[in-house]
This record gives sequence, structure tokens and C-alpha cells, in this order.
Amino acid sequence: MEMIHIIFLIFFGGAIITYFAGKVSKVLQDILFLISVLVPAYLFFAYVSMGKDVSLTLGGISLIWGVNHFSWFFSLIVLGLGSMAAIYSLGFMKGKERKGYFYFNFILSIMSMMGILLSQDLISFFIFWEIMTWTSYLITIYSGNDIQRIGIKYFVFSAIGAYAMLMAIVMVHHLSGTFLIGDMIKIYPHMSLSMQIWIPILFLMAFGVKAAMMPLHVWAPDAYSNAPMAYTSVFSGALSKMGIYGMVIILVTMTNQIPQGTWFREILAWLGGITAALGTLWAIRQDDAKKLLAYSSVAQLGYIITGIAIGTELAMLAGLFLAVMHALFKGTLFMVTGAVEKQTGTTNFNEVTGLIRKMPWTFLAALLSIIALAGIPPLGGFVGKWMLYESLITSNHYLLVILVFFSSTAAFLYCYKFLFGFFLGQEEKEWSHVKEAPAVMVVPMVLMGLFMFVLGTFPGIVLKPINNGLVDLGFVDSFKHLWNSSIILNGWGNQVVLQPILYYIIAVFVFFAIFLSWKGFRTTRYVTTKDISSSGEVPAEDENLTFSVGFMQPFLRAVAPAMRRQIDKYYTGIAEGLESLFEFMRKVYTGNGQTYAIYVFIFVVVVLLFKNVLF
Amino acid sequence: MNILGAVVTFLLAFVVGMTYGGLNRKITARIQNRKGPPFYQNFIDAFKLASKKSAIHHGAMHHLGPAFLMVSSVVTLMIVPVLTHSQWFPNLNFQGDLIFLLYIMTFGPLGMALGAGQTGNPNSAIGVTRGLSQMVGFEIPWVMALVAIMIQYHTTSITGLMAAQAQSGTWLMFSSPFAFIAAILAMLGMFGYSPFDVVIAPAELASGPASENGGKYLFTMMSSGSVFAFVKLTLYVDLFLGGADNIIMLLIKTFALYMIPVLYSNTSVRYRTEQSIRWFWGWPTFFGLLAILQAVIF
Amino acid sequence: MNDKNSQKIVDIIQNWARKHSIWVLAYGTGCGAIEIPPTMTSRYDAERLGVRGAATPRQADVLLISGYLTVKTIKRVIRVYEQMQDPKYVIGFGSCTINGGMYYDSYNTINVLDRYLPVDVYINGCMPRPEAVLSGFAQLQKRIAAGRATGAQHYKENLEWYRANQKKIIPNWVMPDYNW
Repeated sequence: MEMIHIIFLIFFGGAIITYFAGKVSKVLQDILFLISVLVPAYLFFAYVSMGKDVSLTLGGISLIWGVNHFSWFFSLIVLGLGSMAAIYSLGFMKGKERKGYFYFNFILSIMSMMGILLSQDLISFFIFWEIMTWTSYLITIYSGNDIQRIGIKYFVFSAIGAYAMLMAIVMVHHLSGTFLIGDMIKIYPHMSLSMQIWIPILFLMAFGVKAAMMPLHVWAPDAYSNAPMAYTSVFSGALSKMGIYGMVIILVTMTNQIPQGTWFREILAWLGGITAALGTLWAIRQDDAKKLLAYSSVAQLGYIITGIAIGTELAMLAGLFLAVMHALFKGTLFMVTGAVEKQTGTTNFNEVTGLIRKMPWTFLAALLSIIALAGIPPLGGFVGKWMLYESLITSNHYLLVILVFFSSTAAFLYCYKFLFGFFLGQEEKEWSHVKEAPAVMVVPMVLMGLFMFVLGTFPGIVLKPINNGLVDLGFVDSFKHLWNSSIILNGWGNQVVLQPILYYIIAVFVFFAIFLSWKGFRTTRYVTTKDISSSGEVPAEDENLTFSVGFMQPFLRAVAPAMRRQIDKYYTGIAEGLESLFEFMRKVYTGNGQTYAIYVFIFVVVVLLFKNVLF
Repeated sequence: MNILGAVVTFLLAFVVGMTYGGLNRKITARIQNRKGPPFYQNFIDAFKLASKKSAIHHGAMHHLGPAFLMVSSVVTLMIVPVLTHSQWFPNLNFQGDLIFLLYIMTFGPLGMALGAGQTGNPNSAIGVTRGLSQMVGFEIPWVMALVAIMIQYHTTSITGLMAAQAQSGTWLMFSSPFAFIAAILAMLGMFGYSPFDVVIAPAELASGPASENGGKYLFTMMSSGSVFAFVKLTLYVDLFLGGADNIIMLLIKTFALYMIPVLYSNTSVRYRTEQSIRWFWGWPTFFGLLAILQAVIF
Repeated sequence: MNDKNSQKIVDIIQNWARKHSIWVLAYGTGCGAIEIPPTMTSRYDAERLGVRGAATPRQADVLLISGYLTVKTIKRVIRVYEQMQDPKYVIGFGSCTINGGMYYDSYNTINVLDRYLPVDVYINGCMPRPEAVLSGFAQLQKRIAAGRATGAQHYKENLEWYRANQKKIIPNWVMPDYNW
């Protein structure tokens, strides 16, 4: 029995045992949960080697599993973020009910994502894709409110995508006789043109739903907000990357081989750009932190899709690097929201404010993530954004670079709204009892934040695996000199040294911080947020001076024409149209047995009467 | 890395920036038919602020806010080449530093925004949101102009653009006129003078983000503001006016460029935030699109 | 000896800077505020002396009590005064701050400003013309240069006396005991 078999067995068995261990003891359940997630992660990185495929035969079909460089790179995201989220959920789920249900689905989610990455044949890919869909659906409806609207919407979209993929798999099998992904890629150039167009479109429907590309993104804001925050960090960080994984495989290996492939890439790139711009605008409008982060996820995924759709090496590097950064900072931000929700009970900006002095570590993690999201040096997001802009300019997508830049600048607005809404602003009396989140929740957040800082200075840590993965997929490797961990290759010229600049930034900052602190040290004092220059008035203790309603109103007024139409309304319109059609059908299919008996009777009479004409 | 040269560059930027600020007040006064303060008034203001005997702060972020501003100004100063050939003024430019500049120029205001947010003063928060929204406005024509000149000369570094101007003998102002116009119109937003001073709006918003800063914090903000003004002007001189060989030429060129926001501010009324955003997405973006078209076609 | 001399030189330079850059809080407390716009604008141009308006107390040096002070206003003025940063000055503007002026027998206004806030310079008149205002600023400049504009220090040292006077006339006292 190979290591991969053992890993899957631990995941699956661990899920079941953890579910039932809840009836024995809560502590045992927590320990078993951690073991089920962390042990397979360790085993995977320590023992599984590339190139060796293992198989499992079920009923005449063999499922083949194996690792190549590209899936190994994605497994870094899945298992890294999954482990951190698992540690975090121990603290987050403390005191909540139905923990077994949550743990069971969490472990199976991670297992299904690993399964997707390890699948070498389409049947096991599909099986794990479906497991991923229903486990995430079950956790989305964990809280039990609005199951109909949110859960069913998510499930319907995923199901449509998955069945489109199933159709494509069946077509591929019909044309090639095998289920292996490698074989599908080999015979792709020999298919007829209509097949060459349809199969990627069907696959892209499935992957586009998971990667929340407009117009298939409507499930994302509600589903991300409704799931418990410990899972949403994995949901938004790792699950959406499964869509990206599939897209890269389809785009790079299949559509690159045909000359019409450029159309696919152009359309996808523009869809990615529009997703980025519109997602950012909608994120600015939200008042609830969860919805804001959800729309922001949609926008960031737009960047990633643009990157991988452009198709040059630098663009793929940029897209995949941004994918890693997005998993890190979005995971951390959802964890921060979960910590605030656990300590205060709400995530609405209009209700909670001024938590910086009460939850300083949470603020630090949030600050590092927001700086990475905004793409500001010296953190890692800048490296990804820079490569993306360069690749867009070198590949002559000038208008797209303006669109991406617009969305990147507008992202500053909702970044500030997130930080200001939760942590800065007036300190109100009703939140004076709030304490810092427990250590088991804070440590993963801060660790991920510090890792983003490290990635900003040494992007090579992640760029090397990406490079290997892309070489595996068939890119000609002109980036052999990406070994050195602090040099970024510029597609237009020489090597660039970014590290000294970052040291200067830190040195200048420290110098001026010391200047500000040392000058007049004894005569500088701290005053509370009630001692502000409010026209000479002394605010009472319970007077509410928080500014949060209509926070970005001037900007929203300026961009109001672009936000007039909501795609959600179109889907709801279609759904309602279908419902009225079904209402009409109800008139025929009444469900009444006697009506059906009359139908049969009339049919027999008609056939007997007109049998000379009909036969 | 020449520490002495860096300090000299910083002092030059500080002195020139403060003098330009004072000259702004003098010219505004003369336009309004009065005498106005002496041109070294900003130095006196800065020195008075630095010698204030007490200071208050609202917390760690508020205390460090001006330090973020200074980081942004100083690092930008280190990257923009002040004189074209000189060993006294070191700089650290590298390939792709134009894109780096775009982001490091926003690092400071964002840090300051976080500091202003911690004060708890609603005026500061409103000022910050207005400032960020306006930034989205003027960044679009600015980026369009930069992308246009990056495409036209196939380089992403400032020294590359300066070398292209030296090689062809004409300034970028004449060979990419639309990019120059779009960039100048974006510069009006960057400086934050009328009509785009809704961020500060002294009589309406109690000076916005700076409303709780006094004493040494305001001193740091003022110094950072003047250094940043000098850096922005020098950047424009390097990109569009062919750089400067000696200090006299640099002063003449930057002063000529500085007159554009100063004179425009004296003849304008303040726009509301959404009006200024829509204005930036009107004519300046049109010129930016023309610039990109020109770069692609010619 | 050396320390005292160098301290004196530092003081001289600092006072020179402070006297040529006076930021007045934009707060019109009474009817004397009508004379401030003519002083600041083109005809009488206070900006050539370095006088400028400041938006918030945190940025201001001078508090200009322009005219009568009602009991309602003095509560806010005290708060604003204590929010300013040292060194700070108070200018009493108009006769009402000196001896009550036109409203000397009103139930609602104060008569002698010096009992509630430490005043550095008085400008008398009802109201003072802009030339008188400019001369008052020049007087303040002379006092700053001579190092005698120490109202803020005096306030801190005699806080109980000032507080007692303030509490006597302000019925609903909500301020903290001291604000620095």
C-alpha cells in the first residue's frame, strides 16, 4: 500500500472517527481533528515523491493518483492553509455545537482538494470535485439560516459546472477511449474544431464557477459570508484555487496547442479584468466585513485569472504568485474577522469599532494582510502585482493594464474601510469589555502575516516551485536563473535587486520613528479618543461619535452608473421565469391520480379511434 | 551607498520644497493684491512647530503616522535621480522603478490615513476617505500617461527614459505631448491645491487627516510634504523635460512646473469629491487614451 | 554658565521663530470676530506678520477671545484652551474682556477675562479697528521676543485658583480635572 493510499485513508478514516469521537469526549475530538489534518500533511511533504503513480481499481475502472511539480505547488497552498485553519478552528469552534459535523466536512474538504490535485485521470478528478462541492455545501449551511437561498444557489451553480465537466469527460472518453488527463492533452490537437471549442468551454464552466469569475460569481458573497469563518479561510483561500488549477491545465496544455486558443485567452483575460474592477466596486459598498472580504476575493481572483489567461511565462508566474499571496492574506483576513466575531459577536462595521488597543495582535495580522492585499512594498503582494503589470504591458494589453490598475487603486478604499471599521475610530463604551482572541487563534494569523513579510523580501521561496511547476506543464524554461531567492526577473531586461530598497525603507522608518519618540519624550502624552477637537465640546461617555455610515459615499456616488445592474438580479429573473413555467406545467401534471387515469384513458381512446390513420 | 550624499539630497529637497511653499504663499498674496509673508515663512513655521513644548498622541499608529509619510517621501527621493550626472546625489534606480514609484508614493498617505483613523476624530476619517477617493480619480490619467511613455520607449525605468530623451535630443514633452498633458492634469490632483483641496478643506473639515496633529507631528508632516513636492516636480522634470544637469537648471525647470498648480489654484473654486473624481475621468483620461493611441501607432 | 548662555541662545532663536509665525485658532467667540476678516484679507494683510488661521486647537498658538464671553461659551473656550499645545497665548480682544465693556451688568457674560484665562495681551476698543488688531499682534510679538508671554505657565501653576473662578460661574461642569 503506497503512501498516497495511506494519506487518503487517514483523511477519510480520521473524518469518520472524529465525528463519532464527539460523543466520547470533546478534547479527544479536537486532538483527533488535528491529527487527521496535520499528519497527512506531514506525510505528504516528507514521503511522497514525484512521478510515481499509484492506482486503485474500483469496478473495472482504475483511479490513478500521482504528483507532479505543478500539483505539488498547489498542495503547498492547500495543506499549508488547511493546517493553519485547522489550528485556528480549534479556538474558533470552542463552545459551538455540532462540532463533529464541522470537523467531518472540514477534513473531507481538505481530502477532496488533495484528491483533485493528485488525480491523474478524469474519473477520480470528478469524484473528488463532487466531494469537494458537497462538503463545502454542508459547511456553508452549518449555521442554518437562509439555507434555501444561499445553500441551494451555491449547490446549483456548482452542480451545473460539475455536470458540464461530466459531459466533457464523457465526450473525451468517447473520442479517445481513455480517462487519463495526459492522454486527453495528447489527442486534443487531433479533435475536430467544434470539439476543440466545446470541451474547454465545458471545463471552463466548472472551473469558472469555483474560481468565482463573473458572471458565475453570484454564489460567492453569500456562501463566503454564511460559512463559519474558520472554514471560509480555506473556502476562499484554497477551494477557489482548485478552479485556477483546472484553468491552468486546460488553458496551458490544451488551448495553447491550437491557433484559436488566443480567443479563449483574450476573452478570459477581459473577463478577469472586469471581475477585478466590478468586484472591487461592490466590495467598497458593503457594510458587513464578511461580504466585503467575499467581494474582495472575487476581485483578487479576477487578477489571477487575468494573469494566467494572458499566457506568457511572466504572466503565469504573476498569476500563480498572486494565487499564493491571495491564499495567505485572504485566509488571514477571514481569520481576523472570525476572531472579531468571536470576541464581539458581530462583524458589521456600523456596530463594532475601535478595537485596536483591545486586540493588538489581531490588528497586526490584519495590517500585514491588508498591506499585502493592497500590493504595497515591502510585503509580498507588490511582487505579484509588479509582475502582472509588466506582463500586461509586454504582451500589449494596454487597456487591460489600466483596468487592473484602477481596480488595484480602488482596492485601497475597501482596505482602509476594513481596518478603520473594525480597529480604528472612536472607542465606544459598549465594546470596552472586549479582550484579545485566544492564543490558538492568534498564532496562526500572526504566523501567516509574518510569512507574507518574508515572501516580500524573498519571493524566490515561492517562485521556485512555480517555476518547476510551469516547466512541468511544458513552458520553455528561460527562467533558470530564478534560483536566487531575492532577485526578480524583469521581462524587459536585467536582473533587479529589490532587497536593499526594502532595507532602506525599514531603516528610514525606524529613524523617523525614533525621532518622533525621542523628541520631547517627557512632554508627550497619550489622550483617549474622546479628547478630540470637537469644537470645544466634551463628548459624554456614551455619546456615539463613530463615523461609519456612508463611509465611502462620495466615491460610490461617482461610480454609481457602473453599479446599476446586478448580475444576481438576472439569475433571479431567470429562476423566477422558470418557476412560472413550472407553475404552468403544474396545470398538466396536477399530481392527482384521477387526472392521470383520465389522461391514460383518453390516450387509449385516441389510439383506438385513429389507428387506421396512425399505423 | 553614499550616506553623506543622501543627507545632502534630503537637505536640498527640504530647503527647496519649503522655499517653494513660501513662494506659493507669496505669489498667492500678490495675486490677491497684498504683500504676503516673506518667502522663508515656511521655515519659520516649521521651526516654530518643532519647538513646541508639548505634544499629544492618540495611540501607536497615530504616533507613527508621520513616520510613514517621511518613509514615502525619502524613499521616493532616493529613487528619482535629482541631477543627471553627479556623484553627490546618489540614487538607487533600477529597472521597473516607475511601477515601484507608483506604489511607494501611496505608502505614505496610507500610513498617515491609518494614523488619522486612530484619533477617533470623525473629521480625520472623512478627510481620509475623500483623499483616497480622489486618489482613485487622478491615478487613472497618471497611469495612462506612464503606460504610454513606457510603451513608446520600451523601458520601465526613469533613467531609461532620461537616456531616451538625451539620445533623441527632444524632450518627452514634445514627442509625447498627450502623455504630458494627461500627466500635468493628474499632477493638479497630486498636489492637493484648489480645486482639489476638499481633502483638507480648512473651514469645512477642520483640516481633515491632520486635525489632531500638532507640534512635532505637524512638523514632520510639513517637512514630508515639502520634500514630496520637490520629488514630484523633479520626477516630472526627469520624465518630460529632459532632466537637469546642474542645480540652477533644476530649480528653473521645477519652478516653471510648480507654477502650473499654483496659478491654477488661485483661479479655481473647490470641487466636491465626486465632482473631482468625475473631472479626472473626463478630459485627463481622454488625453491619456490619446497618449496610449499615439504610443501604439507611432 | 555655559549652559545658561547656550540655553539663552536657544531661547532667543526659538522665540524669534515663535514671534514670526503666529497661528490663530479660527474661533469667533463674540461680536469682535467681525473685525478679523478685514485684518486677514488684502487691505490690512496680517499674513505678512506670519499670522495665519489654524483649523483645530491642536495646531493653533493663539486663542483670540473676540469680545464678550458668555457663560455658555466660556465652557467651550476653556476646553479649547486646554487642548492647545504649549507655548500658547491668549489675546483679549475688545473692551468686554477688560472690564465687561458694553455688557458689564449682564447676567450672562463675564467681566474680567483674566480671572478665568491667563491673558497675554489686551486690545481695547469696541471694536478695535484692524490697525489696532495689527498693533496688538505686534505687541504680542514683542512680549514673545522678551520671553514674557508665559500665560500658559502661569495657568498651570495657579490651576486651582483659575478652576475655582471657572467653577463659580459655570453651573454644569463636565470637564475633567485637568486636560494635560
